[in-house]
Amino acid sequence: MQLDYEGVYVHTPFCMQKCLYCDFASYAGLGASVQERYVTDLCREIRLRGQSVRSGATIFFGGGTPTVLTTAQLTRIVTALKQQGVWRQPAEATMEANPGTIDLAKLQALRQLGFDRLSLGVQSLNDTELKTVGRIHTAAQALEAIRLAQQAGFTRINADVITGLPGQTAASLQSTLTRLVDTGLTHLSVYSLILEPGTPLEKLVAAGTVTLPDEDLEAELYQTAVEFLQKTTLQRYEVSNYAVPGQESLHNLLYWHYRPYLGLGAAAVSFNGQDRFNAVRTVAAYCEAVEQAAVPAPVTPGITTRAGVKDTAAAATVAAVATTPAYPWGQVETLAEQDHLEEYLFLGLRTTAGLNLKEAWERFHCDVWVRYGQELQTFVDQGCLVYEPGRRLFLTSKGLRFGNRIFEVFID
Amino acid sequence: MRRAVTNMQESHIRNFSIIAHIDHGKSTLADRLIEMTGTLSKREMEDQILDSMDLERERGITIKDQAVRSIYKAKDGQEYMLNFIDTPGHVDFNYEVSRALAACEGALLVIDATQGIEAQTLANVYLAIDNDLEIIPVINKVDLPAADPERVKKEIEDVIGLDASDAILISAKTGFGVDQVLEAIVKRIPAPSGDINKPLKALVFDSKFDAYKGVMLYLRVYDGSIKKGMRIRMMATGSEFEVTEVGIFRPDLVNVDVLEPGQVGFLAAAIKTVSEARVGDTVTDANNPTPKALPGYRKATPMVFCGLYPMDTTEYDNLRDALEKLQLNDAALSFEPETSTALGFGFRCGFLGLLHLDVSKERLAREYGLQLITTAPNVIYQVVKTNGEVQVVENPSAFPDPSVIDHVEEPFVNATIIVPKEYVGAVMELSQDKRGEYGNMTYVEENRVMIHYALPLSEIIYDYFDKLKSLTKGYASLDYELANYRPSDLVKMDILLNGEKVDALSCVVFQDRARIRGRQLVEKLRGLIPRQLFDIPVQAAIGSKIIAREDVKAMRKDVLAKCYGGDISRKKKLLAKQKEGKKRMKQVGNVELPQEAFMAVLKV
Repeated sequence: MQLDYEGVYVHTPFCMQKCLYCDFASYAGLGASVQERYVTDLCREIRLRGQSVRSGATIFFGGGTPTVLTTAQLTRIVTALKQQGVWRQPAEATMEANPGTIDLAKLQALRQLGFDRLSLGVQSLNDTELKTVGRIHTAAQALEAIRLAQQAGFTRINADVITGLPGQTAASLQSTLTRLVDTGLTHLSVYSLILEPGTPLEKLVAAGTVTLPDEDLEAELYQTAVEFLQKTTLQRYEVSNYAVPGQESLHNLLYWHYRPYLGLGAAAVSFNGQDRFNAVRTVAAYCEAVEQAAVPAPVTPGITTRAGVKDTAAAATVAAVATTPAYPWGQVETLAEQDHLEEYLFLGLRTTAGLNLKEAWERFHCDVWVRYGQELQTFVDQGCLVYEPGRRLFLTSKGLRFGNRIFEVFID
Repeated sequence: MRRAVTNMQESHIRNFSIIAHIDHGKSTLADRLIEMTGTLSKREMEDQILDSMDLERERGITIKDQAVRSIYKAKDGQEYMLNFIDTPGHVDFNYEVSRALAACEGALLVIDATQGIEAQTLANVYLAIDNDLEIIPVINKVDLPAADPERVKKEIEDVIGLDASDAILISAKTGFGVDQVLEAIVKRIPAPSGDINKPLKALVFDSKFDAYKGVMLYLRVYDGSIKKGMRIRMMATGSEFEVTEVGIFRPDLVNVDVLEPGQVGFLAAAIKTVSEARVGDTVTDANNPTPKALPGYRKATPMVFCGLYPMDTTEYDNLRDALEKLQLNDAALSFEPETSTALGFGFRCGFLGLLHLDVSKERLAREYGLQLITTAPNVIYQVVKTNGEVQVVENPSAFPDPSVIDHVEEPFVNATIIVPKEYVGAVMELSQDKRGEYGNMTYVEENRVMIHYALPLSEIIYDYFDKLKSLTKGYASLDYELANYRPSDLVKMDILLNGEKVDALSCVVFQDRARIRGRQLVEKLRGLIPRQLFDIPVQAAIGSKIIAREDVKAMRKDVLAKCYGGDISRKKKLLAKQKEGKKRMKQVGNVELPQEAFMAVLKV
């Protein structure tokens, strides 16, 4: 079933410098003219695809580092979004930023454009740790960035933190978290470092130049963060996310609630409630494809009522119409009903609120307990999962630690 | 172009096989012979055409016998029919080798000029001598810089006692000297002798199952003749069949009207399974039987046993079907249903040896797509109870309670090891350590020694050969034959996971080594068992006494930290991959065990 987009993601595939662990679609050193061309093409894509976005849809500028774009470039993108009616009284407008790429003027400009939430890639407040993984900023710069953001009027500020960094200890992590919480920010994302294949960090680790914490220390660091944050005002609401109640990221919640979102730019992913659209990863391929596209957007979800789900034949027709036209700047990933169900379930369980069983029934006609109860009971017995019949299913703190074990149950 | 195949006078038939150690060039020489007699054109030649199973090619060994008939025009201007019977190249199939040799009048003894005689060669040469074969020494790879044909000649004379003065020096690779081999086959190997007027007498030296024709018997005719429509009787099994086809090997099967004395070929007779017509049996005319069967028949007896269980319990019937199909073509394979508390329903299967086990297991996986759990192989123990009763134990978990055991006997083999003399000390130390009993030692030549030991078969299955190879940098060669059962101080060792005995992990060990083996085994298992949500004690026990313990510590964390709209597919794939990995685990009680765990006892 296709639905109106409830959130919009805009990707900026540029960075000042790639962090050693990063395998995202982001490139350093492409030059000003490439960035300029990209912004022009991004605005073109917005005009081609910017329909069917619900009023109030969240906005999220991510990357890469969107703040490497000039204020003028960011203004052009926001203007295009507003002109197309994509940016319409967003419930939340987030800008990702690297502490090494912002100053007060830029932050004030962002505020003026309408961004009300800032997500800073802090990662650590230990300079040695930052340097080991190739971050371009220092701890002091990160703290200064938060202060400046507050001065510019941002009340909703997130910091990303990484656990499992080379050389990290429970004490250094705790120090990072303490100082961040003390700044009064309203949101923290705490991720484990993943050694991705093909990254420079992987090669350094393979060569023995850099040593990562072992499995046990890594788990201990993760647990340190969980337990430390429990004692603060920041409450855990997803496997890796903590917020002052009411300050959760509405945009990210869309993903976990399996709502439709529009992704714009290279490597951006869209989900229209039916299929997924994965844009090409490189800047050059993206620009060429967008520049050649003359036709209006092929991805044009219409409004389908909930009743449409029951009529599978009708739903299939809608799906066929939506997926038949080519998606010139990327690939269409056709999703079957089973995919929808699997994704809905494992994403939903990532939140501490858990799965709304009534909603699962309404959206997917799945009685989760009837279908998976036998396998899930083991996890209930182990204290990982709580089942409230007819209401919800959620992971305990222990269950969140072993989430994959439970998510796996749903994967066919 | 192929020449017409005609029947020939017995005086113009030569039946021979090739005896060679692995890698000494048997297959290359066979290819060269087939090529030079024009049996196949160059275009039709595939390298090492005789090893027709994929598995044989991969492992570079022959598992099943093969045969080829070629016509050779000799220097005397006459045409000869050469029947080459290829033999399996592994100690597991010694009996098949002996039957194939029995079908021949002569053998080429191929020895690598850079290596010399190896233990396996020796065993097969003795088999050939026992069968009164004319042996033609052929020294291969003389083109290599390290070749030392004179040394090899001396070895042949000193060790085997054959005159090597007229040994043929060749390079099968370049073709040098191969024409001389063909001439020698004609001149030196005697023609077969038989009487076409006597009742049919033919030896089955191999068989192969064909889905359309039934079992094809590979034969050597001694007396009488075989024609289509004839009624035949298998003298050992008593089964009778009507011949539907007779033919020869070129090397693919070509039908002919009749097979006469001295000839080698095949017959089909709608025979359903190889167990009705076993290798070594004598085929005769049911209406006019020969009074006396050919000597040397025996039923192949499995020496090594293991449990085979389907990973997915619903595959049990498929596994049984697959084993039945394998058995159609492999009379030496035995299986019977067994139940394990840990693994559910499966089969206890018997094999001639480890290679036979390995190959069969691999065929089940490849040809039948079965995911299997194999328990560690074991030999057959004879347990003499206090009441005098003898219990034959094919499965360690069936080992009786120590209180009723008087003593236990296990199979011993006579092993022959050939090794450069500087390794004698190492070989003796290893053999002693493996409970070997020293026999004697002789010099093969100045620098190489042949050592005889009686060794428990269980030690050979375990790691004797691997250790021998590594201690001697690969120079040692080993051959063995089953000797007898001898009393040994053996006990059953159980493995407990999370306090529960896992029957499929039980093994029989030598009492004095039990403690060490137990410690090694639990350490190995600790490394193999993935961490789970709880601590898992891994214990080794003899009776109720725990002799070793290790703990698999509980897993601390297993969750993908980051998951956003952009990477849902990727994260889902990771979960699917992880789940797939689990499917290859066997749930035993509440512990997930990887397949390798069941073989761990061999790897410590």
